[in-house]
Amino acid sequence: MFDLKTKVLVVDDMLTMRKTVIKMMKEWGYTDIHEAKDGEEAWTKTQEGGFGLIISDWNMPNLSGLEFLKKVRSDATFAKLPFVLVTAEAEPQFVAEAIRVGVDQYVVKPFTKESLRMKLESAYKKCSMRMSA
Amino acid sequence: MPKSTLTDEFIEPFLLATVHVLNVQAQVEAKPGKTQPKQASQVMSCDVSGVIAVISEKYSGSMIICFPEKTFLKIVSSMLGETYSEVNKDILDGAGELTNMIFGQAKIVLNQNGHTIQTALPTVVSGKNHDLSANGKGASVVIPFESQAGNFFLELGISEAA
Repeated sequence: MFDLKTKVLVVDDMLTMRKTVIKMMKEWGYTDIHEAKDGEEAWTKTQEGGFGLIISDWNMPNLSGLEFLKKVRSDATFAKLPFVLVTAEAEPQFVAEAIRVGVDQYVVKPFTKESLRMKLESAYKKCSMRMSA
Repeated sequence: MPKSTLTDEFIEPFLLATVHVLNVQAQVEAKPGKTQPKQASQVMSCDVSGVIAVISEKYSGSMIICFPEKTFLKIVSSMLGETYSEVNKDILDGAGELTNMIFGQAKIVLNQNGHTIQTALPTVVSGKNHDLSANGKGASVVIPFESQAGNFFLELGISEAA
């Protein structure tokens, strides 16, 4: 699993959803958690550096989670940054598009604390394999 | 007269999604009552509402989830694991998020069954006893729900494309 000191960015235009994810992360022991209200703000924060995990909503105004993911993956500095999308858009074509762009895991809303933990664990394994490749 | 989109086949995914979303995200068990056509004179007395467009190639309309204040506070308190005694900007978008999740779940099922519902962003309306209409032009239905957090309503309204 990701080290509990990992700098995490939680992105969602809905404050209640950011609170929900952050609460779960804190209960697991993560301490360095930052938040952004859309993809635009998230991209600005990402460029400041230091993040080891991004958990982003898809459907947001200004810059969607998918567009944000594209920016992250197309920048050599952040191309391998672990990226998890959290969204209500679970139709096959959306999932396929997210995978094509390079998402590490995909969490479908609504979700439990346990289902988020399992997705993060899976994302960690995938990223570890990518890093060692 | 064209066949209405508001059939049981169309309504049920929204109904099931509402039960599922509240159960998983807010640990609230919601029980749907009887789906009823909305009467022209019927007033929906809401304090906090989430609204989202339901648009496809063949129809347009919206879904509204309508909460009395007490119900909304109990649901959001359960969602966030903190007790809230008044509606404020920190929790208001909880109605939007619930709307988004219910819509998203229903959309998956309906689009698998041949519908072409488009992605949409929810909006939130707040204010004591406000009244909203899901569809000013065509048919609407209201589904009442009971839960341990209190009662609330879901309204679906659709106008068929000409």
